[in-house]
Amino acid sequence: MEKTWNNKAWFMVLPVLLLVAFSAVVPLMTVVNYSVQDTFGNNQFFWAGTDWFDEILHSERFHAALGRNLVFSFIILAIEVPLGIIIALNMPRKGWGVPVCLVLMALPLLIPWNVVGTIWQVFGRVDIGLLGRTLANLGINYNYVQNPMHAWFTVIIMDIWHWTSLVVLLCYAGLVSIPDAFYQAAKIDGASRWAVFRYIQLPKMNRVLLIAVLLRFMDSFMIYTEPFVVTGGGPGNSTTFLSIDLVKMAVGQFDLGPAAAMSIIYFLIILLLSWVFYTVMTNYDAER
Amino acid sequence: MEMTRRWPVVLAAVVAAFAIMVGLLVGAVPFKDGARDWFAPLAKGGWMAWTFPTALFFLTIFFLMSLMAVWEYASPGGNPRVGILRFETTRGDRLFVSLLGSAFIHLAWLGLIGPNLWWALALSVVYAIGVFRFV
Repeated sequence: MEKTWNNKAWFMVLPVLLLVAFSAVVPLMTVVNYSVQDTFGNNQFFWAGTDWFDEILHSERFHAALGRNLVFSFIILAIEVPLGIIIALNMPRKGWGVPVCLVLMALPLLIPWNVVGTIWQVFGRVDIGLLGRTLANLGINYNYVQNPMHAWFTVIIMDIWHWTSLVVLLCYAGLVSIPDAFYQAAKIDGASRWAVFRYIQLPKMNRVLLIAVLLRFMDSFMIYTEPFVVTGGGPGNSTTFLSIDLVKMAVGQFDLGPAAAMSIIYFLIILLLSWVFYTVMTNYDAER
Repeated sequence: MEMTRRWPVVLAAVVAAFAIMVGLLVGAVPFKDGARDWFAPLAKGGWMAWTFPTALFFLTIFFLMSLMAVWEYASPGGNPRVGILRFETTRGDRLFVSLLGSAFIHLAWLGLIGPNLWWALALSVVYAIGVFRFV
């Protein structure tokens, strides 16, 4: 019988393992070490046990930031995924419109995150920003610096502007891979537009949608730069998401122990949610 | 699947390596007032802020992963099966679910009951056995 399994192939993974060890495992181990100790600088550490974890688990500040982050991720996923699918479905499949649309879609993705934040910070300003000034002229009392709802609105719209293109491009890649024969068969059967979407296009986009949802969830759950540049986490703490809170704790207050404990809890939540997403979607795909 | 005959040798080597590493680790624990200070920094200058408990924790994780590698060597293929979660899992998946679940068991115990985590550890072992048996 032909041998189909060779465990020696695992040695091929060694270079990647070494790379990941230096870029991820060693820093992660250091964070775990920090999370059970206290330090006042100068590389001197004092054992604290599980105190920092206890403090974070009972911290109102952490609960609030986690809640805000979950709500934010839910809102942007609920908007960006359907919107991305709709735009991808309406993009041209041939002709000069294809490169034009692709370049337009790729543009927001090419802009550095802090520049995106700066663009929206200026765009939303009531005195000189196009959005802020226009809304003010329409009689809407918009001010993202003072009003938490307006700050949330700005951050969400900014994220949609920045990242919907990623969902669009991934869905478009899935759509163009569908052979014409599928559409011809659907036409012969007299399938409706909805039936074509439900039974041909959506199943073919399933894999790329999995990647899109995973990427967007993880990215939105780790969001830092854009809201930090636009609102700085304010007004008050209304747009202080987990990563902003973490940086405030670690760099602003130099509370390395609690910050490390928070990082680990944050990491575990991301790991759990990503695993659930991945498992649910891959098994749904396998069942189909 | 056919078992590879040399796996007991590999297993013994991994267990011996783990025992030696634990021995070296214990030897590295500094003394304070004539007794071992189990929670003191292991490295001078605070490099990576290592302590005995955290080093033992990671050593145990690497030991578990090495045991999985030995298991895979002894019986290749990952033993995929459909368990109570009604989707296919391999041994690696089951270890991941066990470790992740154990982390949350410890956090929940700490948050809801108190800082004595030995019962949480016992519960995690029971949970891991359950995962490897039924998932």
